[in-house]
Amino acid sequence: METIIQSVFSGILMGCIYALIALGLSLIFGVMNVVNFAHGNFVMLSMYFTFWAGSLYKIDAIFSPIITFPLLFLFGILVYHGLIKQTLQEHYTIQIAVTVGLMTFLGAITQLVWQARPRALAYSIVQGTIRFGSYTIALSRLISAIISLIIIMIISYFLAKTWPGMAIRATSDDSNAASLMGINFQRTYALAFALGSGLTAIAGGLLMTFQQVDPTMGLRFGLLSFCILALAGLGSITGLVISGLIVGISESLAMTFWDPRARTLVIYLIFILVLWFKPRGIFGRK
Amino acid sequence: MLPEPILKTLELTKSFGNLIAVNNIEIEINRGEIVGLIGPNGAGKTTFFNLVTGLEAPDKGQVVFKGVNIVSMPPHKICKLGMSRTFQITRSFGEMSVEDAIRVGAYNRLGENEVQKKVDEMVEFFELGDIRKTKCSDLGLASLRKVEVARATATEPELLLLDEVGAGLTSVELIKLMAELKKLNQETEVTLCVVEHVMQMVMGLCERIFVLDAGKLIAKGMPDEISNNQKVVEAYLGRRSYIESDVAC
Repeated sequence: METIIQSVFSGILMGCIYALIALGLSLIFGVMNVVNFAHGNFVMLSMYFTFWAGSLYKIDAIFSPIITFPLLFLFGILVYHGLIKQTLQEHYTIQIAVTVGLMTFLGAITQLVWQARPRALAYSIVQGTIRFGSYTIALSRLISAIISLIIIMIISYFLAKTWPGMAIRATSDDSNAASLMGINFQRTYALAFALGSGLTAIAGGLLMTFQQVDPTMGLRFGLLSFCILALAGLGSITGLVISGLIVGISESLAMTFWDPRARTLVIYLIFILVLWFKPRGIFGRK
Repeated sequence: MLPEPILKTLELTKSFGNLIAVNNIEIEINRGEIVGLIGPNGAGKTTFFNLVTGLEAPDKGQVVFKGVNIVSMPPHKICKLGMSRTFQITRSFGEMSVEDAIRVGAYNRLGENEVQKKVDEMVEFFELGDIRKTKCSDLGLASLRKVEVARATATEPELLLLDEVGAGLTSVELIKLMAELKKLNQETEVTLCVVEHVMQMVMGLCERIFVLDAGKLIAKGMPDEISNNQKVVEAYLGRRSYIESDVAC
C-alpha cells in the first residue's frame, strides 16, 4: 500500500511538469493547427541550455529560465517566421515534414554539441528530501511541480483576461473572423509559437533540478505531450492538467510495479487507447 | 460635386477556375447610407464581401475605401481603417463568453481602460444583458447574429458589412433586428451594406439596392425601382415562391 501511494505521489509530481510541457504544444496546435513534432526536442534543448548555464556560469537550474525563457521565446519566433509561416497554407503533410525535419535537425545538433552521454548538474539549491510520516519526497520534484502549476495558472489567466491572450483564443476559434476584428493573426501565431516554445524552457529548467539529459529525451517528451494533448483534447487547461496527472501516475505505477523500462510502453498504450475510443479527447470541445 | 464615396470598387473581378464569381463589378457606397446587395444564390455576394474585406484577393480591379486602395491589404489593417463585417454562417468565438467576444472587437480601437465601457454600451444597445456571460457556442441563432453585429460594431467601424444577418430569423426577430440596425445607423452614422436573401429586410431597411446575378451587377436603384426592374424580376424576384418561403422561415 505504501509503495502504491509513494508511486502515485511521485507520478502526480511528474504529471504537473508534463502538463506544463503539453500546454506549450497545445497552445501551438490550438491556435494554428500545426503539430510541432519538434516540441519534445525543444524541451531537450532547454535542458541542455540549462546544463550549460549551470556548468559554465554556475546558474542554478531552478533560476535558469530567467535566461532560457527569453532564449526559447526568441527561438520560437525565429522558427515560426523561418519555417512554420511558409507552410500554413500548405497541406498538413508538409507541416509534418517540416516539424519532423526540425526535430531530426535539433536531435543531430544536440548530439554534435553535447555528445551522446547523459549530462546532469551536480547541485541545485532545491536539493534534499521532505518526509511525511513514512513517505519521502524529493524537494526538487515537489518545488518543480508547484512551479509548473503556478506557471499553468499564469498562462490560464493570461489567456482569459489579457488582450494578447484573448487574441490568441479568438484566433484559435476562427482566424479569419479574428483578423476582421482587427487582430493581426500572423503576430498572434508568432506569439503563440514563441510562448509554446518558451514554456519548454521553464519545464527544462525544472527537470534539470532532479534529472539528467541525453539525446533520446526529445522523443520521449514529444510523445508524452502528444499523448496528454490527445487525452485532454483542445480548449480546456484543467483537462490538460488532469491528463498530465493521468500520464504521470500511469508511468510511475508502471515503473514501480512492472519494469522501469515499461514507462514509454505505457504512454504508447494510453495514446493508442485514447485515439481508439476517444479520438477527440476526454475533456475536449464538442 | 458629390462627396467622396466611403467605398468604391473599380472593375472588381475574381474567378474560381472557370467560374467568374465576381465580374467587373463597380459600385459606390456613400457615407451614412444603408445599401443592400441582393441576388440569387451563387450571384457572388459573399465573394464580393470577401474581396472587399481582404479575405480574398481579386484577380483584377480596385477596392477604394475612404480614398485608399485596400486591395492586398491584410484584413486586420482594413479593420483598423474602419471596416468590419459579420458572416453568413455565424462565426462567433464559440469558446468565449458573449462579453469576451465583444471585448475582442472593442480592443480594435480602444485601450484597456475604455474597453469595458464599450462592452457595456454594446451589451445595452443590443439588449444582450441576460446572456452576457453565456458561452457563444450555447447561443441560439438569433442571439448569435446579434452578438456578431455587436462584436463588429465594437470595432467602431465607419462601414459595416452584414452578410445575411437576417437569414434564419423569425419575422419578429427580424423586425427587431432591423429596428436596431436603423437605430445604429442613425446614432453612430455608420454606413451599412447588407447582403440579403430576406426581401422583407432589404426592402424595409435599405435606401439603395444593388442587384448581382451570376457575378455581374445587373441593376441598382431605390427599392421601388428594383422591384419593378424587369431584369431583376427575371433573375431573382420572379421566383416568388422561393422568396416567400424564405421570409416565412
